[in-house]
Parts: sequence; C-alpha cells; structure tokens
Amino acid sequence: MTKKAKPAGTAKAKAKPAFIGQPVEMSGTLRLPAVAKQVPYPIEALAPKVRQQTPAVGQRATRPDARLHGLGQTKYIDDMSMPGMLYCKIKRAGIASALIKKIDTREAEAMPGVMAVITGKDIPVNSFGPSIKDQPVLAYERVFHAGDGVAAVAAVTEQIALEALDKIKVEYESLTPVFDPVEAMKDSAPKVHPPASNIYATKLIKKGDVDKGFRQSDHIFEDTFSTQMVEHVPLEPHCSIASWDANGRLTIHSTLGRITLGRTDMARTLQLPISRIRMVATIVGGNFGGKNEITQEPALAVLSKMTGRPVKGTFTRTEEFIATTTRHPIIMHYKTGVSNEGKIIARKVRLVLDGGAYCSWSETTLGKACILSPGPYNIDNIHAEAFVVYTNKTMTGAMRGFGAPQVCFAYESHMDDIAMALNIDPLEIRMRNAFHEGSSSPTGQVLHSVVVKDSLLQAAERYGWKEAR
Amino acid sequence: MKKRGRGIACMWYPIGFTVAANPSAAVVKVNEDGTATVLTGTVETGQGSLTVLGQIAAEELGIATDDVHVVSADTDTTPMDTGAIASRTTYVTGNAIRLAAEKAKEILFQVAAPMLGVKPEQLEARDRKIQVKNYPQRNIGIGEVANQAQFVMGQPALGSASFNPPTVALDPATGQGKPFATYVYATQIAEVDVDDETGEVEVLKIVASHDCGTAINPMLVEGQIEGGISMGVGFALQEEMLFDKNGKQLNPNLTNYIMPTSLDMPEIEVDIVKNFDPTGPFGAKGVGEPTAVPTAAAIMNAIYNATGARIFSLPATPEKVLAAIKVAKAKQLAKTKQLAKPKQKPKRLTAAAAR
Repeated sequence: MTKKAKPAGTAKAKAKPAFIGQPVEMSGTLRLPAVAKQVPYPIEALAPKVRQQTPAVGQRATRPDARLHGLGQTKYIDDMSMPGMLYCKIKRAGIASALIKKIDTREAEAMPGVMAVITGKDIPVNSFGPSIKDQPVLAYERVFHAGDGVAAVAAVTEQIALEALDKIKVEYESLTPVFDPVEAMKDSAPKVHPPASNIYATKLIKKGDVDKGFRQSDHIFEDTFSTQMVEHVPLEPHCSIASWDANGRLTIHSTLGRITLGRTDMARTLQLPISRIRMVATIVGGNFGGKNEITQEPALAVLSKMTGRPVKGTFTRTEEFIATTTRHPIIMHYKTGVSNEGKIIARKVRLVLDGGAYCSWSETTLGKACILSPGPYNIDNIHAEAFVVYTNKTMTGAMRGFGAPQVCFAYESHMDDIAMALNIDPLEIRMRNAFHEGSSSPTGQVLHSVVVKDSLLQAAERYGWKEAR
Repeated sequence: MKKRGRGIACMWYPIGFTVAANPSAAVVKVNEDGTATVLTGTVETGQGSLTVLGQIAAEELGIATDDVHVVSADTDTTPMDTGAIASRTTYVTGNAIRLAAEKAKEILFQVAAPMLGVKPEQLEARDRKIQVKNYPQRNIGIGEVANQAQFVMGQPALGSASFNPPTVALDPATGQGKPFATYVYATQIAEVDVDDETGEVEVLKIVASHDCGTAINPMLVEGQIEGGISMGVGFALQEEMLFDKNGKQLNPNLTNYIMPTSLDMPEIEVDIVKNFDPTGPFGAKGVGEPTAVPTAAAIMNAIYNATGARIFSLPATPEKVLAAIKVAKAKQLAKTKQLAKPKQKPKRLTAAAAR
C-alpha cells in the first residue's frame, strides 16, 4: 500500500461532504494554522510574591503555565510539526449497524500525495478498551455505530487526506440497529456484539430490608427520571503524532490524560514491548474524562511505520462528537419510603445506563452511579440495582462525575418532592437525613471527614436561605 | 411573567477508583541549592494539578512553591501514574509526592543532624531552612545542607514513593464493602428566573459550598468550582446530543449543540468548607468532578420552586419547562377543586397500604 512520495500535484479543493451528519465541518477547505502573536520570552522572573512564601500549602499560588496561556504561547500537540510529517484522516462508517462486505481503497491509494491507506486488518490487535476489549481501532467486518472508523489515510496534506476519504468505497450489509436501552435489554432485541448479551455489566447494592422498610414507612414516593447524552467539548480536540526511530522505537505525542495506561494499550494493539514505546503529553486543553483512552493512535502508528514518516491526526469538532466517548444517559427509577417527620426509611433505585456501542469506562460509571444513587443520606434499607446496556450509538464513557450528576439530579429532585408533600423546608429535610461523621454508607463503609451538613448550612447562610423564605 | 425560585441540592462523591487499584508513583529530587524537581506521570489537563503537586512537595520540604519544578507527562522520564481521572490527582498523586519528598527530606536531616549537633528526629524543614524543633534559631539553609549531602557526603537528597488508596472489595451479592478511601461533600443553591409564558430559564446565581479537605490552593479550587458549574448549567438546560432514526447524530457541531457561553453564566459565590482529612496530603482530598454534580439538581429544584413544574428529564429546554408548567397548573386546579371536598389526600402522597 505504501508508495513513493510524489509531489502533492494540483489536487483541486472540492467542497464535497465527506462525512455523516452535518457536512459543514468537514468540507474540503484547507485549514490554516493559528499562529499566536510573537512575544518575547520573559527573562526576568515575573512570578508574584505569593509564590515566594512558605508554607506553600494554602497559598493562592499562580500556575506556572498561566503566563504561557495568557500570551497564547502554550504549545499543544497540534502546534507541533515534524519534518516530513503526514496527516491522517479517518473514514467514518455513517451507518449504525452493518456487516462490512468489502472495502476498496485502490482509488484512494492511487491519488497523488496519498502515502498509505489502512483498514482494520492492518492493526496487529484490532481491539481495545479499559475493561472489556470490545472496541476496534478501525471497524472491520462489522460496524457498531455510525461514528466507527473503517479506514485511515495518510497524505502529505490534510486536504488530500480528506479528498482520499471520498475515494474509499465500502460495501455494507445493513443490520437492524437498536437505539433504546430499555428495548436493548429485551431478549428479542438485536445483539450489538453477538453473541454477547446487550446487558454487559450489572451492579447491586443491598443494605437492610427494603420491603420491611417500605412497610414501616408512612408515605411512599415513586418517580422516574432520565438524562441525556452530552459531550465533553474540550476546547482542544483529540490530537496525536506517531513517529518511529531507526531502532524501531515508537514515540507518540498525544493529548491523552493518562499516558501510562495509554502506553499499555499501544503495546497491546501493536504487539510491542512496553519499553519500545514512549508516550509524551503536553498541557491538555481540557479533558473532563474524554481523553482517558486511546482512539486513533494505533492507526497513526501503523501509518507512520508503513510510510517511514511522522503521522499526525487531529479530530475535527464533528469527530469529537461522533467518535469519542460521551456521558451516559441514565433512566432512573426511585421509590422512597419516609416517615411523617421526613426521615427516609427505605429507598429502592433502578438505573439503566445507555452504554452506546462500546464498554469504555461504563463499568466504573455503573459502579459509582449505583453506590452514590441513594444520596448522602442515612438510609437503613437500600436496594440499588444498575444495568449498562449496549446500543448502536456513540459510546459512552468517563465524564466528569461518572454517573453522579445524573443520580444527583434524580435523588435531589425526589427529595424536594418529598419535602413539598410533607410540607417540610427543603433545607430542613436534608439536615434531618444527611450523613454525619461515622455514618454508614450504602456499602456499609464507615465514613470519615463528613461535612455534608456543614456544606448545607454554609451554603444556606451565604445565600440567605432562611431570610428569603 | 417571570417567576423567581431557588433550589438546593447536596451531594457526595468519592476520590479515586471503585475498589480497583489506582496507584501513583513519584520522584522528588532536592537540587544542591535547595530547590527541588518533582517527577510525576500525571498530565496537566488544565485544572492546575501541577501547581498543587508542586505546593505539596514544597510544603513537605519547607521551601516555596516557586522553588519546585514539576516534570510530567513523559513515559520515558516520569514514574507510573494512573492519570488525571476520578478526582484523584491531589489525593493519590499528592500523597505519593508527599511521601517521596519525605524520603528526600530524611536524607537532608541525616546530613544536617551532625552539623547542628542533634539527632535527625529533632529536625524540621521550614522557611528554606533545616532547623531544630522548638529552637528555630539553630538552623542551616536547606541549600547548604543539600550541597553538603551531594558533594561532601556523596548522598544526593532524593526520594521515590508510591501510593494507592486503601479499599475493600465489594461483596458481589450485597455490594457491601469499602469501595473508596474517602469522599467529598458539597451543596449548591441556585436562583433562577422562569418565564412561565415561554418556558425560558435564566440562572441568576449559584452559591456553591464545597468540601475538598484542605484547599492546597484556594484559587484553583475556586476555578474548578466555576468550571464545574458551567458544565452543570449546560447539562441542566442546554446540551443534548440528538440522533436521527438511523442512529446518525443530528447536531455534531457547536452551531447546533448548544452549550453555555460566558453570557449564560450566573453570578457564582464560592464557599470552601473547612475540613481536614488525615488520610490526604496535608488534609487534602479533591475537588475536580464534584463541582459539576449538584448544579443541574439545584437548578431543577429552583424551577420547581418558581413554578411548581417538576422536570423529569434533562435538559430542561423551554419546551419541556413550558409543558411541565402546564401540568403543574392543571394539578393545582385539580387540587383547588379537591379542596372543596374535605378529607382527600393530595394526589402525590400515598399512604403505605400495608400499615
């Protein structure tokens, strides 16, 4: 597939949509690098006085990178360039569930300026994932969601790489997709990863006797809450550069937030000893959980090896949405038994997490969501169960809070409904139930350094909660 | 008409991974002039973690934050770290760095002890000096000690250490166990204006009261809280990835995926709850993720307080809020009618049948 370098030639810019969904982003206009204004480097130490102080803890010390950010001098991965560097673009499937019958890359390979084209079969071990290794680097044989990459191109310019994507012909045999997590739980639903069940992880927390608790309760409240899928939207999109030295050692410059584990994944997918891989990050331009695992890096490494040149891949904003992890939508059913005084006696929670096409960090999200779902309250009788389900949608994974913002929305909305029905002030009902030092968590852990009541009172004081009543 | 409401939400959130090992290792090297270099495998993702980690090393060595240079994010030079995830950097990496700095400090104490004519246990590091406890006037500059250690004693002052939060596996049948080493707590109160004719919600103010143990750097804690709230506002009111019936995304761009800008941000009042966790470095826990947790809940409760409209699915778009207001008004009407008939319980309140 590799061929000799040819001059870029006179490839015309065609504004042909090369992408699924909105074609706006990926239209074939050449991306010019954003160059910061020239500023002299600071020779004198400009650090404020506060940083000269000891003790260091508790100081409002300024960040060493603050000046660089302020002057636009921070070098992110996409600001880096290497001699002879090629640009990678990935062909996305655009179909949610299908068998790949044939991928024809010949026309793309013949284009002047295209140096290499690869598909899933070129990746030594074409699977990865933080727990279940269910995600292909490039989908081969089967597509699991519309954002799946099916082929990757390395070319001398981004423009040519983009145009080459159009020349790659993929034949699909479409399969029946499943998008609704509740539907996907049924036996009759199409399997996303056959023969595996769509329910790929479960969690159960049991404390006390929830049925007995409900019998002892004066009132029972029941509601269902749900949340949506959202993206991390970091300012800086995913970007990596792969390069090999003549000794066969691979260096990856990457926006990853977890380089040690990124290196392990690279070693596994490329079948290399860990000692032959170096992974370097810079200051990441926003992570929020979205840069916790490799994405395109093994493909970049293979392209770089085939061409003998460094290869850079930068995701477009559209790819950030369709081809990286997102926050789990959760359907949350709450049933709570309370006394006349507003004391929670029993709580039953059932969570269904939409896992999207791949597991990613779903098991962690599932666990945290389930453990945290009863809320920061002393409840003797708890039954919390959670399921995470495959669907043919963009994969969900780690995102700031791992399921906690979702369950907090549910347990706190539920709490206010209970307070309203019992005519108790929302602050008061929380104070009556909140954890204290030595409280037992839903998993039976004795808690220390507990200040939930302090935070309630301080926030109420600061807001003027009682005065505003 | 615009209606004003306020809503409260509290939360708890753990530090580190659920049971699974998530270690961090660190190396601290004291240079011969008393400044220090820290090696960590974590990555600065914009939150200011390297500043906090430098402050932790500086505190342990009794030097200033500016005296510490933190090297990070290169697998060839820095030791293993589980990375910037699970709000674990300050607690787990911070503990590893504190332990590594302690080991380097012990070497300095061994070198300084004969110079000051005391035992190493009697020494402390403070204000760039190694001094005798309770006799601070008996001291030597840390640079002098480090120089002595390296060039006279031939024993450079460096230390390496690792830390992994202690946990107990969960029983698979009951889920009982100790999944996390520690937790943080927080409360946020939101004040909103809801237009009951359009369903539009404006968040006016959020008071955020967060526990992070010791705030190693209060300014960075405030930054995290403000950033988390912006994410929470988007999650509450605006952001949603939409799919067509074939599973293709409809809005994979920032034109149609609406997220908060500075104009959507409310006035934020940050309040750090005083706390000290003896298991954390200098009492610190963490603050990264929890800041985004209670915001949406507080805003939904404020909408409820303003209009009686309960939102059951996020985001609370004007369409959903308007529909919920109509439901609330209908319920209110039904309730008023019911009140005419005595001894009927409100609809939402069901007494347990089994009593």
